[in-house]
Amino acid sequence: MDGNEVVIKMQDLCKVFTKDKLKVEAVNDFDLEVEAGEFVCLLGPSGCGKTTVLRLVAGLESKTGGILSLNGTSITAPGSNRGMVFQEFALFPWRTVRKNIEFGLEVKGIPESKRREISDRYIDLVGLKGFENTHPRELSGGMKQRVGIARALANEPAVLMMDEPFGSLDAQTRNLMQKELLRIWSATGKTILFVTHSVDEAVFLADRIVVMTARPGSVKKIIPVDLARPRDRTSREFIAIRGEVLAELEAEFEKARAREISPD
Amino acid sequence: MEQTRALGEMFRKYLTDHFRRIILGVLALAIFIAIWYLASWRLNESNGVLASYFPYPHQVARAFLASFTSPIPGPEAHMLNLAAASLERVLIGFGIALAISVPFGMLMGAFRTFEDLGKPIVEVFRPIPPIAWAGTFMFAFKAFWGPIAIVFVGAFFPILINVIFGVRSVDPVLMDAAKTLGASRKHIFTKVIVPSTLPYMMTGIKVGLGVAWMCIVAAEMLPIRGGGGLGYAIWTISDIGRYDYVYSIMIMIAILSILTAGVAGQVEQRLYKWMGMK
Repeated sequence: MDGNEVVIKMQDLCKVFTKDKLKVEAVNDFDLEVEAGEFVCLLGPSGCGKTTVLRLVAGLESKTGGILSLNGTSITAPGSNRGMVFQEFALFPWRTVRKNIEFGLEVKGIPESKRREISDRYIDLVGLKGFENTHPRELSGGMKQRVGIARALANEPAVLMMDEPFGSLDAQTRNLMQKELLRIWSATGKTILFVTHSVDEAVFLADRIVVMTARPGSVKKIIPVDLARPRDRTSREFIAIRGEVLAELEAEFEKARAREISPD
Repeated sequence: MEQTRALGEMFRKYLTDHFRRIILGVLALAIFIAIWYLASWRLNESNGVLASYFPYPHQVARAFLASFTSPIPGPEAHMLNLAAASLERVLIGFGIALAISVPFGMLMGAFRTFEDLGKPIVEVFRPIPPIAWAGTFMFAFKAFWGPIAIVFVGAFFPILINVIFGVRSVDPVLMDAAKTLGASRKHIFTKVIVPSTLPYMMTGIKVGLGVAWMCIVAAEMLPIRGGGGLGYAIWTISDIGRYDYVYSIMIMIAILSILTAGVAGQVEQRLYKWMGMK
């Protein structure tokens, strides 16, 4: 980007999981700086630790080494300044759309009239007008994730983290939600850290694509996507970047597969 | 031809959905009563001793209706008085069990310390049949509070176990979501764990109520002066050999048990609807 301030700083970031005396290195020497307003995609083979990176930033996991900070302050616990959107939607089934979106405001102790004003704004932003009093069970996958996005944004976090948010949606809904996300992004100017394993999705959405190595995950290559939006998936430039990303990934997929066959 | 088949299909489905249950239910009851008649008739014909234990269904029906208007021989009390006495004890014992088991279950499910503290005690006392306490409780707490104490023990564990299981079954992704939205431990408990556990609590309540009715009848059967209640009635009527009335009391127990289960079911439905989970 054009020299904006750094929001998230990760340097030599490490995460080792210990379970039953068995140590698994999930993330190793991960380096990345995400700038304000940037849309960054983390891309890599499954099990490469991309979700772990996201959970570290969210504060849901604690690092075992390196530097991890948000606006210069070290991240040690979850906080409302970092919103997260989950692949499983993670909506509270007993809460209506509005009450789901107001959850973060509720725990902050914001009075009801103010909460309503804020939730109205985000319900409007994600296109859920008329569904305020609906329960998640009655919504389609795409609509559920709209609630998930609105709920995360209602806290006005500095960063929006998305963990394969469209992974469980069908292809059409997925494409639509990608466009919707870009619209919401340009309307709010949020910094977005987005995890996906779809090359197509990453090239369509991101300012920069961070290709990760197979486990333990580290940055293999950062590929900027300098294409104007809206992007045309069939354009020559799009396909060229796709090819470049795929080539970087291929070797890592091979490594991941080889390990699956003969685990050391 | 095609239309007839479609209509037939629709009709069959309708039967499946609604009538089938009613028809089969009535049919099963009719078969049961028919077999009962047959058995009573056979026993009466052979003039055996067993005959007096198996009165005809219509004799039981007559006794059942009579028990509401005139005192039942043996306990010399009206059916509704006996029922009220048992129902009162069931509700008090169950209520106390509910009030204590839910918070204990929540704590044991959510906090390791409480689990480690409570588990040995629960594991020792849970397999003991509640009625094993009958002698102690009836003599220690007497006719009114004795049965209540036994009902309490009977209803306590099913609710406790289900609540613990409910807390353990909370979707970890929902907890993560709450954390990223800025929820404190207290918020996670009140706004995620408690509502997630409610359906499990309802299961425990339904099981607990069933156990409570079994406990009350058994407890009241013990010969404690001034007992009253349906269990006491069964015992005293058996003593004078009026089995038509014994069965009437059993029918009353079934009705009350179904009634309380029905109320619990209604509460459950309302809860699910209110929670948007139905």
